[in-house]
Parts: sequence; C-alpha cells; structure tokens
Amino acid sequence: MSHLHIPDGVLPPILWGPGLALAAALLLLAVRATRLESPRTIAYQGALGGLMLAVMSIPIPFVALEYCLTLAGPVGVLLGPAAGFQVAFVVCVILALLGQGGLTVVGLNALVLGAAVAVARPLYVRLAPGRSAAAALALATGAAQAVAGLCWFALLTLALKLSPGTPVGIGRGGVRIGLFAGVTIALWLVAIAAESAVAFGVGRFLARVRPDLLPAAPTRAPAVPAAGVP
Amino acid sequence: MINTLAQIDFIATASHSPWHRASALGKLLLAAGAVLLAVLAPHLRLPLALYAIGWLLALTSRLPLRLLAAAAFYPLLFALLFIALHWDGSWENALRLALRPLTASLYVVWLAGTTPYPDLFAPLSRVLPRQVGDGLFLTYRALFELLGRAERMFRALHLRAAASLPARRRLPLAGEALGTLVLHGFERSQRMYSIMLLRGHSGRICGCRHYAEASPADLWVGLAALAVSAAGVLLWRMP
Repeated sequence: MSHLHIPDGVLPPILWGPGLALAAALLLLAVRATRLESPRTIAYQGALGGLMLAVMSIPIPFVALEYCLTLAGPVGVLLGPAAGFQVAFVVCVILALLGQGGLTVVGLNALVLGAAVAVARPLYVRLAPGRSAAAALALATGAAQAVAGLCWFALLTLALKLSPGTPVGIGRGGVRIGLFAGVTIALWLVAIAAESAVAFGVGRFLARVRPDLLPAAPTRAPAVPAAGVP
Repeated sequence: MINTLAQIDFIATASHSPWHRASALGKLLLAAGAVLLAVLAPHLRLPLALYAIGWLLALTSRLPLRLLAAAAFYPLLFALLFIALHWDGSWENALRLALRPLTASLYVVWLAGTTPYPDLFAPLSRVLPRQVGDGLFLTYRALFELLGRAERMFRALHLRAAASLPARRRLPLAGEALGTLVLHGFERSQRMYSIMLLRGHSGRICGCRHYAEASPADLWVGLAALAVSAAGVLLWRMP
C-alpha cells in the first residue's frame, strides 16, 4: 500500500500541488535535522534506499498472490524519521524518473511512503521495552504500514471526491467508494501482514548478528531511594 | 519491473540516437512541459496529440518496442482502477483519464531511455538539498548491486524449498535473508565512504558538468518542444 505508486494525471492539481509543497517543506526540515550527519550516514542512507528499490521489484509469493515489499518499516527503524524521509523522497524521485509513479505526484508518493518510514522508529522505541527486537520491529512495521495505508486511502478518497478531471472536472456521479474501499482494504491487510512478517525476520537476524544497528530502547531508570531512607 | 529499469539504464548509456546526443537539461524541460500539459489538459484532443508526439519521440529513440510498451503501459492498471471508480458512461472522460498517465509515462520513459543517470540526476541535484542530491547518486549506484544480491538470495531460498513452507514461516525467512542485505548495505556504505574520501570527496557529489552543454542534436529537442508548444496553444480549448 505504501508503494502502489500513483501515476501522473489521475489526481487533481489541487491535491498534488500542495502535496509537492508539503513534501518539499518536510524534506527541508528533515535535511536541517540531519545536517550535521557525516557523509558516512548519507552512504548508509543510499544503501538502504537502494535496498528498498531492489525489494520493491522482487515479488514474493504470498498465499494466492504475489506481493512486492517496501521495507519501509525496517528502514524507518534503522534510519529514524528525518533520514528515513529523505530516503523515501529519493526513492520516489528515482521511481518517477524511471516511469514508475509520476513526476507531478512525487510529493504525494513521498508523503505516503515517508509516513510509514517516519513513524517506524518512534513506534519501535515505544514498543521495544519488554519485547524481543524482532517482535518490536514487526509491530512497528505493521503500525507504520497501517499509517501509510490510511494516508493512501484518505488521499485517493479525497481525489475521488474532488473529481480528477480538473479544471473541467469529470462527473461525480459514478464514484464507487464501496468497491474502492473493498479492494484497498484487502490489499492493505495483505501489506500489513507481509511487511510485519518480513520485518520480524529482519529484526531476528539483526538482533542476533548486529544488535548495535537497531536503535536502543529507553531503559527505565532505577528507582531512587527517598532521601533519609536507609 | 527491475529488468525493465536495468534495460532502460543500459540503453540510456549504450545506445546512439540524436536524442541520446542531446543535452539532458533540454530533454528534462521538454518532458516536464509535456507531462504538465498532459496532466492539466481540459479536453481530449491535446492529450491525444501529446501522446502521438510522445510515441514519435520514443520510436525514434531506438528503445526496443517490447521494453517501451512494458514501461509506457505500466500506469494502465492504476488508470483502469480510477476509470472504473469514475465510470459515468462517457468514453471521452474515460479515455482522457487513461491518456494522462500513459502520456506522462511515455515522455518519462523516453527521457530515462535516452539520458544516462548522472546526466539526469545532475540538474536535479543542483536544486535539491546537498544530502538529498548525494542520496540520488548513492541510492542509484547501490540499487543494481543490491538487486543482484537480492535476486541470488531469493533464488537460493527457492532452491532450498523455501517456497514449500507456509507463509507464516516463509516471510520471516525472507526477512532474515533481507537482514543479511541490510548488513551488506551497512558494510558497503562504510567502504563507499572510505572510497569517497580517497577520491577527494569535498562534501558534495557533483554530477557531470555537461548536462547543459548544447549540441547540434538539441535542434531536434527544440523542434519537439515547438511541436508540443504548438499542440498546447492550438488544442488547449478544443474539445
């Protein structure tokens, strides 16, 4: 759901124009937040962005259909919101320049993919105490996919309501929200299940081999004895 | 998808046509203008004319027809979903809704198929923040290597009968395999950084500087731009 890239021309300019502006503003904020990072981190971002693009292109058999992963959750956990959003933006620009997704909707595509990436680490950090890294990563990924799916669903519902034929406008009478909701919710659930299960495996491997790559969960401070109590 | 991308990438670098010799900046501006016109066109004739011009550009760029069709029809599925949701009995509206993404995709495929990626990213990296501009180059460089590894990894899993496992075991297994790629990506980034330092990295990856150098082939881009502009002016209001 977070990488069913919307092509050019199906969304009205009143949606993709502000989407581009919002994505640009968030990108500038993200860049400001990571401006002191070394080029080593940018190289790491590039490697994970390349991995996202690579897995997006390999279908994995899943029940009766094939699913292309995004790894948005694990990449978001590994990089954090600011660097992760930059990666999501770069991935969307590259896809648009290769004809997958649209040039005008790069902003919206980046916002949807970026939403999953950006919420993953804060969720992981909250979920990690008391759970294994694999379980926390799977849960954070599932929740991140749910957020991205909600954004995607809201965006397209809005597009259908606004009528995509601007400036002329195509008639509003034929919109079949029910059909749309049925198809997208089914895809959404598949995406959440598949991404979470894969993230569980990624988390299990990294926790065993390189746990330092995963963000540390906050440790509870030991209770401080009250003054005067022996 | 990625086979299409890999072929487009190869042809952009290895093929020869006037479009390949033209400057990246001119082609980028032409494609962006045509995409905007196609997306904003209020009636059917303009997208039709732009689509015809787009095919003319694509067919003269020596891109293999099968590859061109695979890439140019990629957005059709999504467009059909939208048409189904919006169906109001008007074929004209449906056709316009389908033509917009198809036209845009065609111009972008033409652009990507005739422009090597350093030339394509160089003008963009000039307007994007430094980290993001650098990220474009580094991500693209990492893509094909990681893709090869990912494909080999999934083939190995397949050979070891991972496909016969139930989905609840197969997907975490695929995740563990991808974990090794994350690790490889991390180590690769460390090496890449060392290489960048050795090569005198100055804090910014600069794309090639000849993306804006005009050549006689740019006359063709100028002609195409003229045709797109003329279509825009003449057909904008024509139903």
